[in-house]
Amino acid sequence: MNDIVSLLTPLSVHTPRFVTYTEKGWHLDALIVTERIIDATRVLADAGYTLETITGVDWPEQGNIELVYDLFHSDRRERAVLRVRIGRDGAEAKSISSLFSGAAWHEREAHDFFGVRFEGLADHTPLLLAEDADYHPLRKDYGAQANDVHQT
Amino acid sequence: MEPQEIPEGLIQLAVLDDLLSLCRANSLWPLTFGLACCAIEMMATGASRFDIARFGAEVFRPSPRQADVLIVNGTISRKMAPSVVTLYDQIPEPKWVIAMGNCAISGGPFVFEGQYGIIEGIDKLIPVDVYIPGCPPRPEALIEGILTLEEKLTGKRRFPRVESGAQK
Amino acid sequence: MYTKHKEETFVLNLGPQHPATHGVLRIKLTMDGEYIVNAEPVLGYIHRMHEKMAENRTYAQYLPNLSRLDYLGAISFSLAHCLIVEKACGIEVPERATVIRVIMAELNRITSHLLWFGALIVDLGGFTPMLYIFDDREKIIDMMDSITGSRLTFCYLRFGGVSCDIDDTFIAGVRDIVPYMRTRLKMYHALVSRNAILQERLVGIGNITPEMCRSYGASGAVARASGVKHDVRQAEPYSGYERYDFDIPMSTDGDSMARFSVKMEEMEQSLRIIEQAVKNVPAGAYRNGKVPRTLTPAVGDFYQAVETPRGAFGIRMVSDGSNTPYRMKLRSPCLSNLSLLPEVVEGMLLADMLAFMGSLDLVIPEIDR
Repeated sequence: MNDIVSLLTPLSVHTPRFVTYTEKGWHLDALIVTERIIDATRVLADAGYTLETITGVDWPEQGNIELVYDLFHSDRRERAVLRVRIGRDGAEAKSISSLFSGAAWHEREAHDFFGVRFEGLADHTPLLLAEDADYHPLRKDYGAQANDVHQT
Repeated sequence: MEPQEIPEGLIQLAVLDDLLSLCRANSLWPLTFGLACCAIEMMATGASRFDIARFGAEVFRPSPRQADVLIVNGTISRKMAPSVVTLYDQIPEPKWVIAMGNCAISGGPFVFEGQYGIIEGIDKLIPVDVYIPGCPPRPEALIEGILTLEEKLTGKRRFPRVESGAQK
Repeated sequence: MYTKHKEETFVLNLGPQHPATHGVLRIKLTMDGEYIVNAEPVLGYIHRMHEKMAENRTYAQYLPNLSRLDYLGAISFSLAHCLIVEKACGIEVPERATVIRVIMAELNRITSHLLWFGALIVDLGGFTPMLYIFDDREKIIDMMDSITGSRLTFCYLRFGGVSCDIDDTFIAGVRDIVPYMRTRLKMYHALVSRNAILQERLVGIGNITPEMCRSYGASGAVARASGVKHDVRQAEPYSGYERYDFDIPMSTDGDSMARFSVKMEEMEQSLRIIEQAVKNVPAGAYRNGKVPRTLTPAVGDFYQAVETPRGAFGIRMVSDGSNTPYRMKLRSPCLSNLSLLPEVVEGMLLADMLAFMGSLDLVIPEIDR
């Protein structure tokens, strides 16, 4: 995996690091410069990785939305995680659907839930919400918060 | 859709009514309308062990024009709601609705404050005749629901009601 | 094969209510006669807000949600949730509990595959296997019901173990079920798999290449039937799977018949695992007694993958140190498998598309979450 680390380092904010698999569930963790996500994903795609999922996480205190890309190599049995941070207002990211066709649906879902627009993704119609939905439910400032939780 | 005008000059015979109700009760044809988990229990009721065919209801029709009971099983999401109402409207009279499972009765486990996605109970959209609680209800519960609907139609119950210990 | 004759096409709407028993899926088809020009799946008709609910529930309160996510493989999904919370909180699981979890998960896999089998044949027009598999399902579910209390949406697993111990009746029943299921599988192969009509309907339909699998993230039997060797139970073993000796059925044909054969063989491999697991169930506790009532995992994010009957399910959990998750992302295998539908069905006959969808083994509530 060290060859990948050397290719990813110029595209990352910090040097990519290895995490303990048994504690976290993946091997390589890299925070990528937002504009270079396509190049970073290309490094992994060329090495034979598959895109498993794209997760959006809303961090209102930090003022940004994090996109987490989970990739898996079935032969080497290795997991790599790429992260980017984008702003909450006018959330824009680059689409990797030219590299992985399956990314289109994950990005549409991220758009549904967080309002992220992906440059290069032609179709932003809602995947899981109603066609005319104009709300983004998984943002922390939408609707129910974690205040009304009952202690069992 | 505009309400239909029922002609007033019909002669109604009580015995004929009873006979028609008996026939309808013993051949309730459900619509194949599985939304979520409860659909599997409905399929299990149609299978050999629980055998809904004993009560005449095994003919699941895919087309609403040929069905007479709409068994709503599963959660009704806001996106699906217009389709459910359309299907209900398309079923010709006389028709009945069974709300099977907690989701169809009142939204089930998916109700939380500020929820944006589901309709809390099908009776908010269409009139319901029988409610079958459970998550999912056992096939025996669905059969009990069919028997209750038959009782509603005919006024008589096919099998004696099983008394639980608490009721005695 | 399909060659474009006319310029006139029409739009045919399949679903969201249709007799193929997959759930509420709507596909907008642009048709040229009987051939499909374009297929566009429309989702969201059973969107039940699972990911938003995760942020409003404690970790224990969220357990029932996982079973309703994919109700046919409920144990595997609950297992992913339990494993990720145990990983994040550092909770140990006793040996007996891991073995019980494996037995239940594999029994659940068999019931799920049986239902897939019956539903596929019903989609193709044969009704009889549906009644036969429900009979087999009832026998297995009876035993699971006696221990877990549920028939379908099992909420049996707890953090640190299982909620109820198994007894000798259960072990004896499972020991009897294995040879019984083997005779039934033999019967299904003789009556159904070698049926000439089934061969005509499935062979050569819906070819998926390994590059497509990698591009769309397809997993499970869909990927294994195209030659991609990926089974989470062997790639990233959990819950003691590394101790059991089982094969991973694979094929390189990539058509619907290959997916069919792979899944039928998977049932046999599940029986092998159950046989080995039930041979010596270790004595001891069935649940870790030292799990605190309120769980507050360490701050950070975690990932756990599990092999469900439909493919590789993953949970990405972000914890902020409180008693509710900050974000719980559920990676649905069926979503990735369905996303390759538009590319594969172009130029197919409509009836072939239904056979192809049946071979994908979709459960729509899992896609919509």
